[in-house]
Amino acid sequence: MARLSLKAEAQRYYLGYLWWVLEPLLWVGVFYVVFYELLGSRTPDFLMFLAVGKLMFIWFSKTVNYAGTSLVSNEGLIGRMDLPKSLFPLTVILECAYRQVVVFLLLFVLILADGAIPSGLWLWLLPLALVQLALIIFAGCVASVLVAFQRDFALLINLGMVFMMFVSGVFWDINDIVNESAAQALLTWNPIAFLLHSYRQVMLWEQAPDVAHLLVLGLLALAATAATLYLMGRYGPHLARRVVSA
Amino acid sequence: MSFGLSGAGGGDHHVLNDLDLEIQQGERIGLVGRNGAGKSTLLRIIGGIYPPAGGTVWRDPKKTVALLSLGLGFKGDLSGRDNALLAAMLQGLTRREAKQRLDAIGEFTELGEFYEQPVKTYSSGMRSRLGFATGLLLDTDILLLDEILAVGDQGFRQKAREALKDRLSPDKTVILVHHMEQAIKETCHRAVWLEQGRVRDDGSVAEVLAAYAADA
Repeated sequence: MARLSLKAEAQRYYLGYLWWVLEPLLWVGVFYVVFYELLGSRTPDFLMFLAVGKLMFIWFSKTVNYAGTSLVSNEGLIGRMDLPKSLFPLTVILECAYRQVVVFLLLFVLILADGAIPSGLWLWLLPLALVQLALIIFAGCVASVLVAFQRDFALLINLGMVFMMFVSGVFWDINDIVNESAAQALLTWNPIAFLLHSYRQVMLWEQAPDVAHLLVLGLLALAATAATLYLMGRYGPHLARRVVSA
Repeated sequence: MSFGLSGAGGGDHHVLNDLDLEIQQGERIGLVGRNGAGKSTLLRIIGGIYPPAGGTVWRDPKKTVALLSLGLGFKGDLSGRDNALLAAMLQGLTRREAKQRLDAIGEFTELGEFYEQPVKTYSSGMRSRLGFATGLLLDTDILLLDEILAVGDQGFRQKAREALKDRLSPDKTVILVHHMEQAIKETCHRAVWLEQGRVRDDGSVAEVLAAYAADA
């Protein structure tokens, strides 16, 4: 289903699959103009700093937004077939993950072109991406259920993603926060801020991420994902009634 | 096989009330009733799409069930062929099995070149034909048919009824919702008239349809 949707989406636009690369590049371009050229950000190597933050954040925000409406937009199918309800957000998540692989490659090309030399530390990117994927599955599935119960949640989730962008250090550096305990609290309680910071540590600053923090976050994300998928299976028919009768 | 359904309500609209119905294996039942009587909701509850708000449904867990309805569930950006592939795989066929049936489905729908075009360019009749052809893929014990024979023009409707008849063996249970009496007379042995979520009449097709027509 994910592959067919991607094929259909590519056919919808004149530039087709090229948008997978163009769209994230344009996002980075727009943010660069605003925060570097207009507002004069003093973060060193700001373009790469922004590219890592923005490209990895888009993966999270776009997927959760799309997954949020995945159940209600498949109302016709849900009213016709007794399918696992998690199938719908998971399809969207898979679709976005395929796209993110291309974005990852784009990011590597940008960073290598900027003069970085990959080291063994880059192997940390795999667990980081897997933890982010687990968080996305959890947040995407929860979002889809919320929107199925009350469609207004789609707007709130959209707004929530904008809020997350501002508090996750997408275009500013957490190291710039003067109050050290506030910076630490942000990294502890905002998993996206932690992940973006960790990606930058690995790709830009040649540092290993905080392994203990990553492990705890990974385990929590896995447990939350498993619980959400279980509950979606357990209450699938009730969810279907909600989607169809809404 | 029997269904026991009592005190069922269909979600927020409460389309079914104190409904009690028992259906034996091999029965072919025509459901009639006005719009909003609860016919489609009843099929969805029997099909396990969603549970009743109250009461119980009992169905032999060994029996497989398929709900076929028209025009819903297609992805507008995908071609008829890709939608057929998706529908077949969602109904449990492997990708290879599904692909093997795509040409036959395309031929049955008589869509011609449109089979390769996005479904959003289809007329409602074309969507219905595609829905019917993809809906008949599975060989299940219980077939729930929601207006699925009201497809396309007169010629195609006849073809659809014949295709359905070919698929029906004596042990197969069918519940058919249809607004055309002829389809129910041709397919069913028993008819149930639903009104405001309750059974108003239940008996032979001739009797129930006559009572229903007299009330109109």
